[in-house]
Order: sequence, then C-alpha cells, then structure tokens
Amino acid sequence: MSNDKNSSRVSSKLELSNITRKFGSVTALAGLNLTVEPGELVALLGPSGCGKTTALRIVAGLESADSGSLFVNGVSYLDKPANERDMGMVFQSYSLFPNMTVSQNIEYGLQVRKIESTKRRKIINEKLELVALGEKANSYPHQLSGGQQQRVALARALAIEPTVLLLDEPLSALDAQVRSQIREEIRRIQLSLGITTLFVTHDQEEAMSIADRVGVMSHGKLEQIDRPISIYNNPATPFVASFVGQANKIPAQVTDRGNVKVLGQKIQLSKHSIDIADGRSVTALIRPESLHIVSESDPEGTAGQVVIKSFLGPLTKLGITIEGGLLVHLNVPSTEVRKIEIGDRISIMIVAEEVMVESA
Amino acid sequence: MEKEAVATRSEGTARHSFSISKITFPLLPFFTFVGFFLLWPILAVTIRSLKGNKNEWTLENYRPLIHGSYFHAFLVSIKLASITALIGALLGGLFAYVIVNSAGPKLTSVLDSISAVFANSGGVPLAFMFIAAFGTEGLFTKFLKVLGWDIYAGKFTLFSFTGVAIVYSFFQIPLMILVFKPALKGLRKEWSEASTNLGASPITYWRRVVIPILTPSFLGAFFLLFAGGFSAYATARAMTVGTVPLVPIIIGTLVDGNVISNQANLGDALAVGMIIVAAIAMSGYLFAQRRANRWRSA
Amino acid sequence: MTIFVVSVLAILIFVLPLVAASEFSFRGAKGMGHSFTNYIWLIHQDGFSEHILTSLQLAVLSGLLNLILMVPTAVLLHLKLAKWRSLVEFICILPLIIPVVSLAIGAQVSMPKFIQNSQYELVCFFVIIALPFTYRALDAALSSIDIKTLVEASRSLGASWPATIVRVIIPSIKGGITSALFLSFALAIGEFTITSLLHWDTFPTWAVVAAQQNILGAIALSVFSFVGAVLLMVLIALFSNRKRSKTNSKLEEVAA
Repeated sequence: MSNDKNSSRVSSKLELSNITRKFGSVTALAGLNLTVEPGELVALLGPSGCGKTTALRIVAGLESADSGSLFVNGVSYLDKPANERDMGMVFQSYSLFPNMTVSQNIEYGLQVRKIESTKRRKIINEKLELVALGEKANSYPHQLSGGQQQRVALARALAIEPTVLLLDEPLSALDAQVRSQIREEIRRIQLSLGITTLFVTHDQEEAMSIADRVGVMSHGKLEQIDRPISIYNNPATPFVASFVGQANKIPAQVTDRGNVKVLGQKIQLSKHSIDIADGRSVTALIRPESLHIVSESDPEGTAGQVVIKSFLGPLTKLGITIEGGLLVHLNVPSTEVRKIEIGDRISIMIVAEEVMVESA
Repeated sequence: MEKEAVATRSEGTARHSFSISKITFPLLPFFTFVGFFLLWPILAVTIRSLKGNKNEWTLENYRPLIHGSYFHAFLVSIKLASITALIGALLGGLFAYVIVNSAGPKLTSVLDSISAVFANSGGVPLAFMFIAAFGTEGLFTKFLKVLGWDIYAGKFTLFSFTGVAIVYSFFQIPLMILVFKPALKGLRKEWSEASTNLGASPITYWRRVVIPILTPSFLGAFFLLFAGGFSAYATARAMTVGTVPLVPIIIGTLVDGNVISNQANLGDALAVGMIIVAAIAMSGYLFAQRRANRWRSA
Repeated sequence: MTIFVVSVLAILIFVLPLVAASEFSFRGAKGMGHSFTNYIWLIHQDGFSEHILTSLQLAVLSGLLNLILMVPTAVLLHLKLAKWRSLVEFICILPLIIPVVSLAIGAQVSMPKFIQNSQYELVCFFVIIALPFTYRALDAALSSIDIKTLVEASRSLGASWPATIVRVIIPSIKGGITSALFLSFALAIGEFTITSLLHWDTFPTWAVVAAQQNILGAIALSVFSFVGAVLLMVLIALFSNRKRSKTNSKLEEVAA
C-alpha cells in the first residue's frame, strides 16, 4: 500500500463516450463525452437537472446507461456490477453507517476485501491521520459534526485504494465556513495521492477553485470543458458565460459581421457567439470587471446614476442605472471608490477585446 | 462575568416558577381527568387485590395465580400472545418491507389507512367475520374443501386456541406494518449505495448494517404486539366463552357470573396479574425503542 | 417477483376472509340463494335502533370530550411546556399497557356510585382508551408545523392569544384533529370490553346477544361496519394526504 504519487492503481484514466440515459420521457444525458486523465480532478458543474449527478452515478455503477461506453484504463466497465468497480464514492450526506464507529466505517471496505487485521489497522490509522480525525476513531457518526462526517466518508472511500474517486456534491449539506475548509482539504489529499477524481457540484466557486478542469453541463450535455481560467475568460456558450461568474445582460445590436454595438461602443464579437445576421438585436453578456469608471467627458462613456454600493472587502460592487433604466453592476477596487456615493452620477465604459452575446 | 451568570440564573428561576404556576393550571384538567379515570381505578384494584376478607393486607388473593388452572390460564394467554405476535412480526415485517420498497405514495397512504382499520379492528365484528369465513358453513371453508382440504375433517374448530390465534393474527399483522414501517423508512438509500460502492454484496449489507439497525425496532414491535395479544378481550369473548382458558375471559366470567365472597378479590388479583405481564412487555418495548434510537443523529 | 408473491399472500390473508364474510352476509333464508335478507333482518330486530342510537350518542360525546380535553393540552405542551411532554407522553401510553379488562375491574372498584349508575361513565373511559391514538395524532400534527414561528408571527401582527389559537393553530392541525376525532369515534362505537364488563348495553354488546339467535344477521352487520370503516378511512386518507404529500414531495425536491 503506497502513497506514491504515480501509483498506477489510483491514477486511472476514465473515459466516457456518448453516454445517454433517459428516465421515462426525460433525457438526463444526451451523449456525454468526457475523459479524465490520470491524477486529474475534473469538476462537473451545472444547475440541478443538468445530468451531472446521473453521469457520476453511471460511472459508479449505481445507474445504468442506455447507450455509450465507459472505460477505466482501457477496460470496459459498463457491464461491471457496482460492487466490483473498486471506486470510492462520497455522497452528499448521511452515508456513514450509523451503527459503526468511525474506525469500523473505514474498515468496512477492507473487510469486504478480506484484508487481514493488522494491515487493516494500519490503513485505518493512515486514513484517519490523512483527514486529521485520529482522536475520533471510536466515535459514532451521530456524535460528529457534518464536516467531520464528510471527512470520515472521504477516509472510508480512500481506504480501499480506489481506481477513481467520485464525489457527489459532498459539500452542499455543510455550513459555508466549513465548506471552503473541507474543499481545500479534499484537493490537498487528492493531489498528494494523485488519485483520479470526478467531482460533481452546482456551486461554481467550488468547482473553479479546486478543479484541474471544469466541465459545465446543461440539459444532459457538456457545454464546455476547460481549465477554470479559460472557462471564465473564454466562455464557449452564452450558458457558460452566464452560469459561471456574473454577467450583465445589456441590449446590443450586431453591426457588421464580427462586431456588435453595445453601450455606444463597437466591440468585436466573440468567436463562440452564435452566428447572427447583421442588424439583429441581441443581448451582450458583460462581466462586472469589464466595466470601468471613466471621466464624464469621455465620449465613449455611458452616463449613469449610482443606486447601489456594496462593500465586499477588496472590491466594491456598484449598481448603476443607465439609459432605459437598466441596472448594471461593476466591481471596482474599494480604494478607488471612496469618494463615490449613492446618487452620484458617473460614466462607465466597457473594456474588453471581445464580447459574448446571446439572442435577445 | 460571574455576577452576570448569577443574575441570569436567578432571573431564570424566577421566570421558571412564574411559568410553572401559570401553566400547570391549564394542564390541570388533563391530569385530573387521567388521574381520576385511569390512575385511581388501577390503584384501587391493586389495593383491593392486596386485601383479604377481613380487610387486612395479604397476598392470599395471588395464591391461586401461581398454580393450578389460573396459572395455566396465564400460560395459555402468554402462549397465544407470543405466537400471534411472532406471526404478526414476521409476516407484518415482510409486508412492511414490500410496501416501503415498492409502493408509491398514494398506494402507501391507502395501505396505511387500511392497516389502521384492520389493526384497530378487533372485537366483535372481527370474530363474526371469521366465523362467517371459516365456520362450518363459511365460504372459505367450502373453497378449501374444493381444493381438497377439509379443515373440519379433524378436530378443528374455530372456537379453539388455533381459531383464536388465526383471528388475532388478522389484526397483529397490520399493527406490525403500522409500527415497523417508520423503522424501515429510516434505512437510508445512501447506506446501501455506499455499501455496494465499497464492494459488499447485499447479504453483507443486510448482515452488517440492516439487521443491527432494525433489530431493536423489530423486537420493540414484537413486544407491542405481545401486549396487545395478551390483553385482547372482545374477540376471544365472541368466539370462545369457556372453551379456551384465557385470563381476560376468566376475569369476564368472574364479573358476569356468580360472585362468591372472595372471588371478587381474585378477579382483582387476576386483573393486577394482567397489568404486571403487560407492563413487563411494554417495558421491553420502551427499552427496545431507546436502543433503536441510540444511533440517531442528535 | 417477490412483490407479486407477497401481494398474492396479502390478498389471500386479508381480502379473502372479507369477501367470504360478505358473501355469507348476503345469503338468503335457510342458506339458500343470496339477498339482503340478513341486513333487513337485523334492522327489524327489537332494540336495533335504540342501541345504535345509544352507541352513536356515546361515540359522539367521547369524540368531543376527547378533543376538548386533548387539543388544548397538546397545544400547550408544544407551545411552552416541553418539560411536561415526556410525562404526558408516558401517561398517554399507559392505556396501551394497562389491559382494558383490568381498567374495567378497577372502574368497578373505584368509581363512586353515582358515576357507576350513569351510562356516561363509558364516555369517560372511552376517552381514556382512545388517549394513545388521539394524543399521537395531535402530537404528530403539532410537530409537523413550526408552531413557535406561527405564534410569534401572529402575535407580532397584533393578534391576541385566543385569536391566535383559533385562527392560526387549530386550522394548521386540522388533519390531526380530524384523525383524532375519527379514531376516538370509531373506537367508541365498536367498544365491547369495558362496556360488557361494566354491564352496560350498547350496540356491540346487543349485537353479540342478537347474533346468538341469528348469526347471519349479526355477520351482515359486522361486514357492513368493517367495510364501511375501511372505505371511510381510505377516503379520509386520500383527501387529507393529498395536501400533505404534495408539500412533502416539494420539500424532498428542494432538499435533493
């Protein structure tokens, strides 16, 4: 049992091809293609109903797929029973066996594999140390907090040295503070073990902060899968642009092929935008940090009135009403905004190389 | 800091005693009613059971209970209660399991209410129904005859221990369904999925998780069914007068029939004897309930 | 597959006897043919109407008394007196522990003469016997609403205590109250044990005597009351659960 980073057992390659699944008349997955490289943490992100949990459960074997293929290290897994897949899964909540102590819970998978008792002891202690719960070895789940329970669940899943680690919204049931703490722990452990991981969540901050790559899903399809920074800066579809990060929706008009007029400025259309005829009205998606305050005399600026000022720490969010009563938000360093108060009139301008639009 | 703590504590006590007087008064009707119509009769019969002919304290009235026909009656009652509780627990448990795992919400609520009616049926209608179905002229009897099984070929009669046991099972099974279903519903899907995911077979899951968790509730339900089967009166009365020696029936005959001077106190002793047996069963139930909840999240 | 087998078993055990008894009840005179003779016979018996009326009266009274006693008690317990809850819960379990037979004997020994001479002592004992069920129904209903918040909201909007109870709390636990009422009514109407041991004559006790003359008629009645109770319960369940299960499933959706 080694924690060698490149131990081939836990650094598996996971390949999903064209996975489809319908529940009655509802299509949960419409041809999902996804590859998770050895040692990678991929987060599946999307609103509820997008199919991310179904995908995870199909990988685990808890759901079946209607069609498609699933390969782990080149071996087809779709027909393998769930209890023979050697995958570790962490559920959203309540998955610890209540009649067993923390140690006994962790031991469960090891006993199933008939690992002899001294070795089991060793593994249990290692895992307890890994999640920093050594002193709770003999406690029962109901005596632990939510965060502690999830750490035990993680230890239990890792104890069996799984080929793949699967996490089904493991933090959703936890308090906000505990959440960020534990997600960092999960990432830290995942990196140190080099274990291939699939992480499902609806919280974009969670996904973006710990994943190697983020797959944004909607209606059973993968809209985009890329590194977090690319997802954020170069969203491939309007859905991704508005689901990840914040976006102001501002009416705009396509001028000539490749450009769009918004807030009086002419900006290049993002290459991922839908192909729209010239002259058509669209909605431009502008990130708050793309809006800058300019002087009132600037001809390219748009005038507006400050109606909201929210202090967020290093940044302050301003809400401005502009022409037509539209409310837009911008994030400005707090130091720059000291003299601006609600009711003031200011001018803003879009600073961006290209802009993403969706149909009006 | 300390001053504050003392101050809030005395404040709390003051509020506390004010609340007690303000609140106990509205609860008085309840306690008075229950005290008068439940606790006082029980106390009274217990006291009278301990008094002899000349009003002295004595255990004489309990003497007949520990041997002879009265003791035998207790044994028969206990046997009846145990057997029907066991049948109820096993079959009812099975039905409950099927309902929890396979029935949709609407079907479940319908079955719940049907179970409630059946469980609380007892008494006279139930007895009559079974006489109708299983009596010598009953439809069921004829049906079985057609299948080749004449239940009256031997010594069988509905007005016997077996007959009563069959009828009692009719309400024990639904009662089990009602009482045990919540425990079954408490088995979280995540546990079975986690167990599968960790590589265990369904049998292992049952052995290591389900059975340890369900056993206290199951036992508790059994005790509850036992208490019910032991204390039931009406059904047996409608079916067996005199033919099966059951304690409730004997008490009934003592009350109805000829009362010889010290037989009144014998009835009391029997009544208290019943309370004791039932109480033992119920404490088994309460203890099992507590065990069942020990792993519940705080 | 298992479901099928189990369902067949369940039907055999429960439905068949009912069907058999029903068939029995429709048999004609001298066991020939089928008709409503038995049902009609029962109605024509001496004492049918007076005993039914007696039972109905006692059942209504005990249902009402049950509510009058238990609704305020249960509401109070949930509002302010968590302390007393376990004691009251234990007391409400007692009627399940104490065999009704023993209670009957106790009643004979303890009740003052003037009470023992009145039929209405039965009402009080019916209430006691129904206590576990009524308390549980009310307790469950009260536990499922966030009573503290409701009361605070109502009071902060200026309502007095009586108004809060009548206009906010009672309507919120309507389901529990109906269950409790129905349970105690059903129990009282069918109660045999304590009635017979205290030598009173209600419909069940009368029916047993009548049965000895014409078993068919008595069976007709039993079947009728049984089937009627089942239908009634099912209807009530379908109606009251529709709202609750909708709320529950919505909650489950949100939680998922």
